[in-house]
Amino acid sequence: MALLQNTVYPLGYWQKVTLSIWFIAVVIIPFADIEIVNFDPLLELSLMAQGLIHADFFATEYLFQAIIQTLNFAIIGVSLGLLIGAPLALIYQHPLVSGCCAFLRAIHEIFWALLFLQVFGLSPITGILAIAIPFAGTFARVFHDIINQSSDSPLESIDSRADIISRYTYGKIAQVLPQLITYTRYRFECALRSSAVLGFIGMPTLGYYLETAFKQGNYSEGAALLIIFIALIGTIRYWCPPKLLGIYLVVACITLVEIPTLDSSLLVRFISQDIIPPALVNTLSFADVQWSLLYTWFSDIITLQAIPGAISTLTLALLALAASHFVTLNAHAIASKHLWPGPLVYLGQFILLIGRSVPEYILAFIFLILLGPSMLPAILALAIHNGSVIAYLTVQQSNAIAPPLMQISTLNKFNYHIMPSIYPNMMALLFYRFEIIVRETAVFGILGIMTLGFYIDSNFSEIRYSNALILIMCTALLNVAIDHISMRLLNSHKQSLTT
Amino acid sequence: MKILTTMITSLTLILSLLVSVNVIATHFTFTAIPDENESQLRTRFEKVALYLEKELGVKVKYLPVKSYSAAVTAFRNNQVQLAWFGGLSGVQARILVPGSQAIAQGYEDQFFKSYFIAHHSTGLTINENFPDINDKTFTFGSKGSTSGRLMPQYFIEQHLAKKPQQAFKRVGFSGDHSRTIAQVQAGAYQVGAVNYKVWQSALSAGKIDTNKVSVIWETPTYPDYQWTIHANVDAEFGKGFANKVQAALLNMNTPELLSSFPRSSFINAENKDFEPILTVAKKIGLID
Amino acid sequence: MITIDNLNLYHQKTASNNTAKRKGATQVIFDLSLTINKGEKVAIIGPSGAGKSSLLHHLYQRLQTSAALCSQRQGLVDNLSIFHNIFMGALARHHWLFNLINLMRPFKQDLRNIGLLCQQLELDEPLAKSVDKLSGGQRQRVALARALYQQQDIFLGDEPFSALDPLMASRLLEIILARHKSVIMVVHDRALAMSAFDRVIALDKGRLVLDSKKQSINQQQISKLYQTDAVA
Repeated sequence: MALLQNTVYPLGYWQKVTLSIWFIAVVIIPFADIEIVNFDPLLELSLMAQGLIHADFFATEYLFQAIIQTLNFAIIGVSLGLLIGAPLALIYQHPLVSGCCAFLRAIHEIFWALLFLQVFGLSPITGILAIAIPFAGTFARVFHDIINQSSDSPLESIDSRADIISRYTYGKIAQVLPQLITYTRYRFECALRSSAVLGFIGMPTLGYYLETAFKQGNYSEGAALLIIFIALIGTIRYWCPPKLLGIYLVVACITLVEIPTLDSSLLVRFISQDIIPPALVNTLSFADVQWSLLYTWFSDIITLQAIPGAISTLTLALLALAASHFVTLNAHAIASKHLWPGPLVYLGQFILLIGRSVPEYILAFIFLILLGPSMLPAILALAIHNGSVIAYLTVQQSNAIAPPLMQISTLNKFNYHIMPSIYPNMMALLFYRFEIIVRETAVFGILGIMTLGFYIDSNFSEIRYSNALILIMCTALLNVAIDHISMRLLNSHKQSLTT
Repeated sequence: MKILTTMITSLTLILSLLVSVNVIATHFTFTAIPDENESQLRTRFEKVALYLEKELGVKVKYLPVKSYSAAVTAFRNNQVQLAWFGGLSGVQARILVPGSQAIAQGYEDQFFKSYFIAHHSTGLTINENFPDINDKTFTFGSKGSTSGRLMPQYFIEQHLAKKPQQAFKRVGFSGDHSRTIAQVQAGAYQVGAVNYKVWQSALSAGKIDTNKVSVIWETPTYPDYQWTIHANVDAEFGKGFANKVQAALLNMNTPELLSSFPRSSFINAENKDFEPILTVAKKIGLID
Repeated sequence: MITIDNLNLYHQKTASNNTAKRKGATQVIFDLSLTINKGEKVAIIGPSGAGKSSLLHHLYQRLQTSAALCSQRQGLVDNLSIFHNIFMGALARHHWLFNLINLMRPFKQDLRNIGLLCQQLELDEPLAKSVDKLSGGQRQRVALARALYQQQDIFLGDEPFSALDPLMASRLLEIILARHKSVIMVVHDRALAMSAFDRVIALDKGRLVLDSKKQSINQQQISKLYQTDAVA
């Protein structure tokens, strides 16, 4: 009996987390809208394949300008985001600051842009702010986390009379500066993607033409634009060494498209009319307010749009989370130098590059033709995109690990040495991405999935800004709640580690 | 490596000088989203801008936008003073900018219509009567489209006496007429609603396999696309400017220019021509 | 200079803060009373786990504004160069803006001073080399240089020569003694403790077992201290 008792072996923390992700996914699958409707995908798919083979790089007008503007928005957006976000990272522990940052991050770039569109019009300011604001929130959070991981021991040996800025820069930030720079460079890549995606709503970037080409079935033009875009992202480190960023910033400001004159009356109108609930627009005093109208308006939005939207957003996001986990594990394995010889690793990394560069919208589009409309194409698109991003980040880390000097097979080394070393970080990244998955569910209205983002988009196209704003608030609150829960999960783990 | 980065930097600097920095000036700006073929949009519409410039004697600029709602926003913000709107977006814009006028429409837009199309597996064929499409999967075009969304939804609600969300198993918004055709043809959606002109030109371009997808019903006619001019133009560009613009549009007869829209010619239009659209939009709840 | 009365210290596994008594904490210092005067050069000796480092850190907390600490943990910033790690000692002497600029581009004056200091400490590596490329002994001397560069009156050292050979250790100790009015140092090498310091304090299991001036050190007593430890 004593022998039996010794074999009790409780699950590890990360095992529990992994199993919970999959358990939740399995539980909600029966309630999720998943089906495969597949009749004649071949015709359209063959057209896409032909487009890819005969990629036409000359079909797009003003292509060079589009590339330059894509870069400009990304460079200026990231710089501005950094300027706002980095100082916030130092006070991020304050719940108010972290709450506000989660709020900023929660709103998709496209919706920021749609809001700013009302105030600044079709102007580069709209695009730049749409990138800079959510990025500031992200920088604040991640910089805070990175700085927190640094050791306190250098601070101990610094004279306590030194001012806080000197102590902090020398004792803390200098320790993690390489990580901060690496992360900033990665965010620059994200900004390029965001910048392209802003083209979907009319910013003069690559996405402008990319969306038109795919929407109208000009696949040879679309394929060429995708290739250019992937090449742009894949070669960042060659054309954008951090040292040149300053020069690029100046160049970006010079070559930015013209900024139309700002009209402050637009801002006034936006605040005093557009976002006011319809029941209040024509009321002059408090007494005129028809409270019952206001109440029906509000409860209609909540019950008909916000709640169903939030439910399908969460369902989609949780399923996509599990699928992303699956993609991450596999994508990490195919690009790991611990498993494959050199050339195959490059191939694997190339696959990751494609997976993370192709906008989800385009992926969803291809899967829609292949599988028919349901949550499935959205789940696949989200999983491929986010899985590739996480795998890309963890591969960088795992490839830097020295393989153990043991005479065991490659696969054993990979499973017993490499995976355990990177798995916690992989899971942490997956949780970070969950927030992003929730945001990105917005773009799948095309599949007939009524996420919160779908309703927001509908309200914008019906010119009901007050409704859109209410729903944006709901999305943001959902995100703040998710952020809070995932923070607590990770923190409770940290505490359980130390006690 | 250092040489490489220096080379790249200098190259970027030179190239950036080539991308001209536009000078801000008071232009007469217009926008247009044609209902089909959006490729080479700027190249095509800059020719229209040149024509208008010649006719009007002021600088004319074309502003490309991506969606009807973006066009409405630009019009409302006076970033564009003239716009080629769809029926619904035109009505929305004129509500938001009181005093703005519909001044011209395409000849075809007096009696526009939508087609309902279905995948062959549904077994539905062309019929005079409204087809039995209850519980099918259905895709509209873009959310703000008149021929791809507003009118089809109106006729669906009229005939099935239900909201699309209740009538169909699934409702999608393909975002574009060409997409609607492609998705119904691939069987991704069983039924879809599409602008009749887009269907006809896709058919003649050989993009449609009629064994897979076919028209099952056509809607009654309704007014659609029109040119709308901003209320402020006479104040900004001189008295009678709106009339000058109207004359220039009605006199546009070069096939090259007209094919950008594509319309055979432009004819006179006024706000009340589009009242049916407003009524329908109010009925289905797109406008309060 | 400093007087301690009946000091009790507890060691908490989770936090570095080891002064307050908490559940699950182990006591590392028991009822220790001690007075150290200005100008004294004190060596602290004792077997490992005797509470020497805890005592030293407590002293540092009390003396903070006038003392420089060279702790066992070193607290070097791996990504920074030798120069910047040593310059960290001088942060309190400059405005933050000066410090920030210096981080990007070192100022000539400090480069000269630190170069000189490195020469004295027999650290002939390029100043721009980052410290993660240094050997254990070199890193220890960088940490030492940083403490020296604080230019304080009091030097607190926690085995600052553990990775160095004895000859170099005594040469460096001379430099430390010459540059500070008072020195309190945990020393591993008993011979060094007795030859170079005026006063030796011995700890065992958190208790003060010996406190004597150089002249009256009882060799036997010290040997016994280490022997009992070996037996236990």
